[in-house]
Amino acid sequence: MSAIPQATTAPLARTAARPAGYALVRAGRGSFLVHRRGAAVAAGLVLLLAAACLTYLCVGKTCTAPGEALKVLFGQPSAEEFTVGTARLPRMTVGLLAGAAFGVAGALIQTVARNPLASPDVIGVSQGASALTVGAMTFGVTSYAALPYVSVAGGLLAAALVYAFAWRGGLQATRFVLIGIGFAVALRSVTHLFLTKGDYLVAQQAKVWMTGSLNARGWDEAAPLAWTLLLLAPFVCWAARAQRTVSMDDDTATALGVRLGRVRVGLALLGVVLASVATGAAGPVDFVALLAPQIARRMTRTAQIPLLCSALVGSVLVVVADLLARKLFEPTELPVGVLTAAVGAPYLIWLIARGRTGGKA
Amino acid sequence: MTVETAAGSRLGARDLTLSYEERTVVEGLDLDVPDGEVTVIVGPNACGKSTLLRALGRLLRPARGAVLLDGEELARIPTRRVAQSLGLLPQTPVAPEAITVADLVARGRQPHQRWWRQWSEEDERAVAEAMARTDVAALADRPVDELSGGQRQRVWIAMALAQDTDLLLLDEPTTYLDISHQVEVLDLCRRLNQERGRTVVAVLHDLNQAARYADHLVAMKAGRIVARGRPADVVTAELVREVFGLESVVVADPVTGGPLVVPGRPWGAA
Repeated sequence: MSAIPQATTAPLARTAARPAGYALVRAGRGSFLVHRRGAAVAAGLVLLLAAACLTYLCVGKTCTAPGEALKVLFGQPSAEEFTVGTARLPRMTVGLLAGAAFGVAGALIQTVARNPLASPDVIGVSQGASALTVGAMTFGVTSYAALPYVSVAGGLLAAALVYAFAWRGGLQATRFVLIGIGFAVALRSVTHLFLTKGDYLVAQQAKVWMTGSLNARGWDEAAPLAWTLLLLAPFVCWAARAQRTVSMDDDTATALGVRLGRVRVGLALLGVVLASVATGAAGPVDFVALLAPQIARRMTRTAQIPLLCSALVGSVLVVVADLLARKLFEPTELPVGVLTAAVGAPYLIWLIARGRTGGKA
Repeated sequence: MTVETAAGSRLGARDLTLSYEERTVVEGLDLDVPDGEVTVIVGPNACGKSTLLRALGRLLRPARGAVLLDGEELARIPTRRVAQSLGLLPQTPVAPEAITVADLVARGRQPHQRWWRQWSEEDERAVAEAMARTDVAALADRPVDELSGGQRQRVWIAMALAQDTDLLLLDEPTTYLDISHQVEVLDLCRRLNQERGRTVVAVLHDLNQAARYADHLVAMKAGRIVARGRPADVVTAELVREVFGLESVVVADPVTGGPLVVPGRPWGAA
């Protein structure tokens, strides 16, 4: 072997080693890479969400001055206490939280399946949650506080079934999605079976819940949802990092020391739980989980789906959709799911029609 | 396991049997990868060479026997720790959509990073060096999917280099490349080995390239090793006939003086 050429041991030019577009944030012994554009988009989305929320609180059958709404928010005495604080605020909170949960759930499942079609509302998770919830309702469980747990059980059950059927010594994304779509259809039928078997009044209530309605949601739904999301927050932080490695092919990821099987199951499980919890609280608000991550990704132009921005887009979508649902056909209130479906369904069709060729974000 | 690899060899295999479901591809194979050398595995299609490489890189679990890294059974070492001393570039790696070159290369640092330590001086150094060495620094901000095949392969190698491992496994790194890019990639492997003392194991399709770039040549046929050693000692017309079933004449490579396989037999010598 030849001698070592001198040139290569000389210090190498320091050219853009840190990936462009990332800022390095140091905190004590920690160091974090923050995507600049992603951070800017997140900040913009926070502002947009704040504006949407304020509009939501002010607009209704009667309109409230923004100043009064803010007073209520900050706990000061106001004449609008009931309208804003009791009627609108809890319902908005449920929408806000459910939207965020749907956004993150969609991002996680799309990442694991490496397919923008794979979102909990397409692959049967939401339908599983719905089926079991409606089943429970028809058998007399009507407490809104208990429904989230029933939903989670339903979502997990559906996901486990899809997983079991898609597993062939490994998980292949396309088969996973197709089997999921099959289960989604089947589970929808199960839901209808429960509806026709059930008591008429319960069926009416379940039907409204099924299209995703935030009508009459209050602190009873908002509180368990908030607690669950808070509990899951550390896992979401873990997921934000773990997600990076799953976006590579299996061999490369394994070569980089990723315990691929575990990470995938962890991410998917988190996604399923988030989607189910949100479904339990707000009903299956269709297509938010499908749309939000892809919108967020197009905005940030990151190599993987940004979790924080997906959550924010999900919140904005649900809050705005529910605002329109309340206002568009006054005095009739539409279930929010009808509006998200109106936007989401064409997108889903476009996504399938376009195929995956040239699928650049 | 008390089995050890031979002295001067951190990576090896003992009684290794590899199979996909019922089909046995490699059977009872022993191998010692010499440290600090370029080992090239050659053989006809479906002889198990890529399968062997995958097993050496713990992408495939042995059906019997073991792959040993530093005397430990590879399957028992946490995958992250393996990734700190052994890098592997698969045959057809897939990049995340819209990822930039620098971002992809930086992902080679994964096994050295933690959730709370996403970027260190060491990461900076390793990535800069990997990009400089593979000559992709100028492409740093370009999306990977806009690059040519040769550029893309260099980027992937840069990613594997950024991992900063003593052992590097490459599965047919020259596939899909035109001849000048093939030579470029192989020269790069050679330099990595010579300048940094890295142990390189590569699977190559082209016997002449293998003979030219290998210190240690391993010829496989039907899941077994037929011959191993220095190319000058191993590459003979008999071996080519035995392994590839091809008549040939082995002459001296006019550039390196090493063995050069010319297929066919002299005209008239029926």
